Amino acid sequence: MRRTHLVGLGIVVVGVLALAACSSSSDDSGADSDGVVHVPEDFDTIQAGVDAAEPGDLVLVAEGTYREAVTVETPDIVIRGEDRAGVVLEGDFELENGIRILGVDGVVVENMTAQNYAANGFFWTGVTGYRGSYLTAIRNGDYGLYAFESIDGIFEHSYASGSPDAGFYIGACFPCSSVIDDVISEWNGLGYSGTNSGGDLYIVNSVFRENWVGIVPNSGTYEPCFPQRSTIMVGNQVYANNNGQADAIGAAQLAFGNGILLAGASSNVVMRNQIWDHDIAGIGIVPLPEDDPQPVTSSELAACESGAPDEVLDVDEDALPATIFWTAIDNMVTENEVSDSRLVDLGLNMVGTTPTADGGNCFSDNIFTTSAPTGLEQKAPCIGVVGGDFDEGSFDVGQLIARDKPEPVPYQDVDLPDPGDQPNMPDAKTAKARPQRETPKFPDLASISLPVKIGS
Amino acid sequence: MNRAAVAAGFGVIVFVAAACTTSGSTPSSSPTLSAAVDQGRPVGNPNGAFRYDGAMFATRCDYSHSAPDDPIVAPGRPGDSHLHDFFGNPTVDAYSTAADLLDANKTTCDLSDDTASYWSPALIGPDGPIASDYADAYYRVAPGVDAAALRPYPLGLAMVAGDALAGHAQPTEIAGWGCGHAPEVTSEFPTCSPERPLTLRVTFPDCWDGKNLDSTDHKSHVVYSGTTGCPSEFPVPFSQLTLLVAYPVDGDPAGLTLAAGPARVAHADFLNAWQPEALATNVRACLGRGVVCSVPTTGSP
Repeated sequence: MRRTHLVGLGIVVVGVLALAACSSSSDDSGADSDGVVHVPEDFDTIQAGVDAAEPGDLVLVAEGTYREAVTVETPDIVIRGEDRAGVVLEGDFELENGIRILGVDGVVVENMTAQNYAANGFFWTGVTGYRGSYLTAIRNGDYGLYAFESIDGIFEHSYASGSPDAGFYIGACFPCSSVIDDVISEWNGLGYSGTNSGGDLYIVNSVFRENWVGIVPNSGTYEPCFPQRSTIMVGNQVYANNNGQADAIGAAQLAFGNGILLAGASSNVVMRNQIWDHDIAGIGIVPLPEDDPQPVTSSELAACESGAPDEVLDVDEDALPATIFWTAIDNMVTENEVSDSRLVDLGLNMVGTTPTADGGNCFSDNIFTTSAPTGLEQKAPCIGVVGGDFDEGSFDVGQLIARDKPEPVPYQDVDLPDPGDQPNMPDAKTAKARPQRETPKFPDLASISLPVKIGS
Repeated sequence: MNRAAVAAGFGVIVFVAAACTTSGSTPSSSPTLSAAVDQGRPVGNPNGAFRYDGAMFATRCDYSHSAPDDPIVAPGRPGDSHLHDFFGNPTVDAYSTAADLLDANKTTCDLSDDTASYWSPALIGPDGPIASDYADAYYRVAPGVDAAALRPYPLGLAMVAGDALAGHAQPTEIAGWGCGHAPEVTSEFPTCSPERPLTLRVTFPDCWDGKNLDSTDHKSHVVYSGTTGCPSEFPVPFSQLTLLVAYPVDGDPAGLTLAAGPARVAHADFLNAWQPEALATNVRACLGRGVVCSVPTTGSP
């Protein structure tokens, strides 16, 4: 069954919440004749404004600090701040989510800040169609911008810092048909995390810096749609992801000091990224052990889409081992520039989890100095004959585990950098509401060139 | 629900309390009681399925403390129960009412609005009690139940799931033991690996009579839903609560017992003191809309 069954469930309940006890307009919607609900002019809280809005409406929020956790149960509305830095959702480390969108499609959140939430800044779950634009998420206890079991989405022009899990997360979807474009993720556990996500999933033109680890697609049985596969990462700047002065969940600690780490991740494309200054690997491909897995059967592998790779795992319940290894196969690493990696620029280690030493992974046309095993582009080229001694100068994955690492700083206490002057949404007070009703336009990869190093 | 009403709910509690005060001794089987607690069992195996998918909200609640208290079975009688491990609201003691817990507004759970209390009999090893690590509380929808019709627990709802006096193996769909999150559930302590340490799994009833916050046996006011949902005598459908309690225990289980008796008397207690508005929102908007709203914080991304 495709994951759309979830979407089906999501729209069964038509909770008409626009009861709007205090509406000042003449119809049942809290919106004016232009379909705009003003907060706090019409409604004191964002929640009340959201509850009064009808599909297609814009909830326009004036500058101020809003101590609330907003739950959205109306599809196709747009919630927008008039000023990105001036409209602040404040969680005080007690409220769970700044704004969470639960099983309603097409909802867009724009041009505001969510900070100090115990869980997430902005959270979509079980939706088709979503967009987060010009958002700032700071010091939230799980994720900054978070999409789970959701497809047809966009995260763009946004900034996330100070989350112990990921600044940006898109997970448990296939095909995700989603785009992350022009975001900055810093001082998180993981800059980007995507468990079991892929399929027309693009991460482009973005910056992942000074996290514990940069970009980490991974597989796990604890969420549906495994294994992770088919994410396309192009034109990103990924640097200095060795920052132990932030908070980090266990997985981020394990992956500490890597730029892009494909961990039990398959069929991904890593192309034209500028990657530098990492303690371990600029780009690493490794299998991923998972302790205490959930049952894995062929039917579950096909839960999100038919045609999922069936060679990965098929284990009956009674044969389920205490630990499984997710292989990392068929990834393509090409045209990246990787420099200043203390262990290795390009690393590949299948530790015997695939029939071949290369696991179908390939490396071509990268600008780099070191690889493990040595001569990786000659041994595992994207076009040409695979072969050679993969044990020669092999990628020491033990370095991921057996080395001194800093103690994570509790996220509430981290001294975060100032997010700086993040751009406002143009014409925020006047632009029409634009719910995300369709699959986003995918980036033209040919137009994305290798970015130059920031500061050079 | 006010404090007096909660107290009134406890007023009808009489006979099971004595049975649960026999710390250290082996309880005997009671045919009368067995009949009283014959409440069916869950459909499927909620105690063996923990993937984050579909309709759920879940939270990890760190171990709070252990005490020989039981505010459901032995209210107002501190020290009169077998030893329990408590999770969630850390202020709980033998005198606690739901109103007290709500007012305290404290929790060891990731979800700060979950100020309810959960407890289970302490695990006893050869050298004494072995404190648990945490309990994960999963709120889901049982098969056959209309998610859109779910109601939140009323404040002060008290439930005991599993049979503290079981003379023989209980249905493992209600209460049993496993390793980590593996699907297999047994009535006896299994031999677990370090990657998958010992866990207790207990699933609570999800159909309510709509009237009583508690009952004399702490069970008769609620039953498990069946394939066609809730029976007419218990017409109010709740979310289905499954509690997974994790212990720092692996290897040979010989020498393990529960403060309440042998492994087969596995059970757990729940006293609802969630912040009511948050619980109602989660039940309506997370479960009613079929989405994952939160998962236990585990260290996995």
